[in-house]
Amino acid sequence: MLEYASYALVLLALGAYVLLDGYDLGIGILSLLDRSDQRRKEYSELIATAWDANESWIILAGVVLWAGLPGVYATVLPGVYLPLIVMLLAIVLRGTAIELQSAASGYRHGWGLVFGLASLVATLCQGLVIGAVLSGLPHRGGVFTGGTWDWLTPYSVLCALGLVTVYLLAGAAWLQDKTTGTAHARAGRLGRPLILAVAVAGLVLGSGLRLADPQHLRFDQPLRATLFGLAVAVAVVCAAIAWYGFGRRPDWRPFAAVAGTEAAGLLALVAATAPVVVPPDLTVRAAASPHGSQLFLLIGVGGCMPVVLTYNIYAWWVFRGKFAQPPATPVAAGPSRPPAATERPAAVVPVAGDGPWAVVVARRVLLTLLAVTVAAVSQDVFGGVRVWIGPVGVVVFAVTALAVWIRSDRHSAAVGEFDLQAAEQ
Amino acid sequence: MASPAVVEISRWQFAITAVFHMSFPALTVGLSVFLAVMYTVHLRTGNPLYLQIFRFWKKIFAVGFGLGVVAGTVMTFEFGLNWGRYAHAVGPILGVTIGMEVITAFFLEAGFIGIMLYGDGRVRPRTMAFACWMLVVGTLLSTTWILSANSWMQDPAGFTEVDGQFRASNWWHVLFNPAFAYRYPHILLAVLISASWFIGGIAAWYLVKQRALPFARRTLSVALGVLAILMPVQLYVGDATAAFMGVHQPAKLEAFEGNWKTDNNGYNLLVVPDTDKGENRFHVEIPHLGAVIGKDLSGEAHVPGLLQTPTNDRPNMWSAFYGFRAMYFTALAMFGMAFAGVVLRLRGRLYTARRFHRLMVWMAPAGVVAISGGWITAETGRQPWVVYGLIRTSDAVSHLSLGAAIAGLTGFVAVYALLLGLWIRYIVRTVRTGPEHLTADAGAGVHPSEISHA
Repeated sequence: MLEYASYALVLLALGAYVLLDGYDLGIGILSLLDRSDQRRKEYSELIATAWDANESWIILAGVVLWAGLPGVYATVLPGVYLPLIVMLLAIVLRGTAIELQSAASGYRHGWGLVFGLASLVATLCQGLVIGAVLSGLPHRGGVFTGGTWDWLTPYSVLCALGLVTVYLLAGAAWLQDKTTGTAHARAGRLGRPLILAVAVAGLVLGSGLRLADPQHLRFDQPLRATLFGLAVAVAVVCAAIAWYGFGRRPDWRPFAAVAGTEAAGLLALVAATAPVVVPPDLTVRAAASPHGSQLFLLIGVGGCMPVVLTYNIYAWWVFRGKFAQPPATPVAAGPSRPPAATERPAAVVPVAGDGPWAVVVARRVLLTLLAVTVAAVSQDVFGGVRVWIGPVGVVVFAVTALAVWIRSDRHSAAVGEFDLQAAEQ
Repeated sequence: MASPAVVEISRWQFAITAVFHMSFPALTVGLSVFLAVMYTVHLRTGNPLYLQIFRFWKKIFAVGFGLGVVAGTVMTFEFGLNWGRYAHAVGPILGVTIGMEVITAFFLEAGFIGIMLYGDGRVRPRTMAFACWMLVVGTLLSTTWILSANSWMQDPAGFTEVDGQFRASNWWHVLFNPAFAYRYPHILLAVLISASWFIGGIAAWYLVKQRALPFARRTLSVALGVLAILMPVQLYVGDATAAFMGVHQPAKLEAFEGNWKTDNNGYNLLVVPDTDKGENRFHVEIPHLGAVIGKDLSGEAHVPGLLQTPTNDRPNMWSAFYGFRAMYFTALAMFGMAFAGVVLRLRGRLYTARRFHRLMVWMAPAGVVAISGGWITAETGRQPWVVYGLIRTSDAVSHLSLGAAIAGLTGFVAVYALLLGLWIRYIVRTVRTGPEHLTADAGAGVHPSEISHA
């Protein structure tokens, strides 16, 4: 039973990922089609606050899969080696592009292009991975045994295209919720054509599943058929709500409806294939971890989940409402080099008037010896003589350094060396 | 069985991605603590200097953290991509540990980083401070779990083996394995120290250039203060770690001391090992010092050599020896500089010693260099085992074609080299631009729109 709970946890993380990173990948692809720099900068800023949290879900999905169903993890990952590597590289470049775009003052076309293309490539690769898993991967004893290109099937290519339409739809729905003005109007117009595209993709992929999946999908079982039918019905209803909601108030409705469609779609897929995870025959039970690991995973990860959801919702709530530039973009207009005249006097290095050179040399030699001794004590060289010398010595040095630090810091503060105002005058 | 070439390529790929990933946490864990402290001090004193420091380091932190996250995403999947057999064998133990890392630490960081970076003007300053501290908790928790997982691979405990898969028999022993007690404080100090050098080095650059002086003095003072306290502690902890490892992983100690035979008491500075013959073609040593470091002040005790270990269980002496030297000598240089900092402070010259500041600028990446060297020693010294004494690296690799493995490695090397260049360029640009100009009345709780710019 526990292994099904782990499987549910994997599905939860995967579903959250598809929903959350799905919309920001979709916005990334949409930014490729947009001509306005202002809107594209807006898209990028919209994602900058959230991509990190959104992307965490795929990491969770990955490790829960590893911990809970190591048989699946060890079969699937080597099986889809190339698309996964390309997806990871795309995610790396995409994160870099978002961060550097956000740190730049204007709109950087290069980063915009990297952001859009990497979003598209990551989406395509994810679709290829899903399609490859549904088409089945050869394995033995929990280890992948197939070839390098096994993931490339007609069905996986169709899945890749289908996933692009799904993410684009989620992206448009999110934009309608978060933006105003031209971006808002654009999102409203894009919605319905995208729903049509998703519907076509759903029909093609759904009917193709029976051909692609090497296991015998047992729709003759009434429970399975009922669940599948219910999930599909919910998905259709949600899609209809989204159809109605695009371009209308309230602005949150399309995204909520798209979220419903995606969740129902995922459940329909699970209803069709469970308990097989990797067709034709790798089941949840065969791939699962031992009982103790499952228990630890479920108590640990499952127990933390409510807390995680709470602060994720809080973080989302902080940035609720329409996207707006922060009140002031704290960007320095140029090098904040202070006027040279005010600072230069401090630049004069005081001449070392420390007395005759012999004294200076003697002092330096002594200090060097002291440093070597301190280092030797810290290295516990005297541990062979007395065990306590090392720890006591280290504590003495640390306390001395702290005392010196406090004294000199107070002195500097009193003299005004840390004073912003003094530096300006 | 996978071909030796696939094993080698997979090892290189893992080594490159792991060192690259680790350089970012090495800076951002310490930076998150620094940022949280600075913001809290700003809240308590209302001094705009601390706000200036916070805003400047936040820019560097943001991009570094982002790169660390994406590079970490790669790591999560790499265990399964190239090391499928390993993933299947240790999933029930290490998968769970890393799963706990993701749920307790990763999500915490990801949830609050948005507020910390973009919350200015949207949330109250107290909430900002809270987000900063949550980020600190997240990065520290993350370090804890990862070190627990990695230490288990060095010194596995609390498990039984069933059909080639490891099962936890005692989670307490798995998580708090013997090596963890030594390696965790060592790495925790290391990340704080490496961030301090980075912060101190950049502050020293401003002192050299005579720009943004109060900012530079305050930052340098904090960084050097932390270093003066932590450097001796780190040497002590590091020594304890090496002594522990000498008992639990003797081959690693033998490899990084650079000896083959066990009739030597010197300390090797340079070696050119000949692995086939089991001797050094060339070495430069300081007589007796090896024994002294090994706690025998008479200088006569023998330093163990690698010939004690059977041929097929020997790690590569090159990487272990020079990785260790990179870590240890950088640490000694860091220690010397920190000591000099205390002396300068006592003499009241900390902010005027120009040569010292120039040296500090060069020391900015020292901590990352030392951590990378230490990592190379720790991980290559464990070879040929991936889980020490239990799974050989050559038995851990996935069923992959040579072409796919090469394509993966090439992709990572190309993208990571590009990223490293971009990251360095970004830091240089940000540092050149300098901290933004704040007027003295930009106190706590002031709306950001009221802050004037230079």
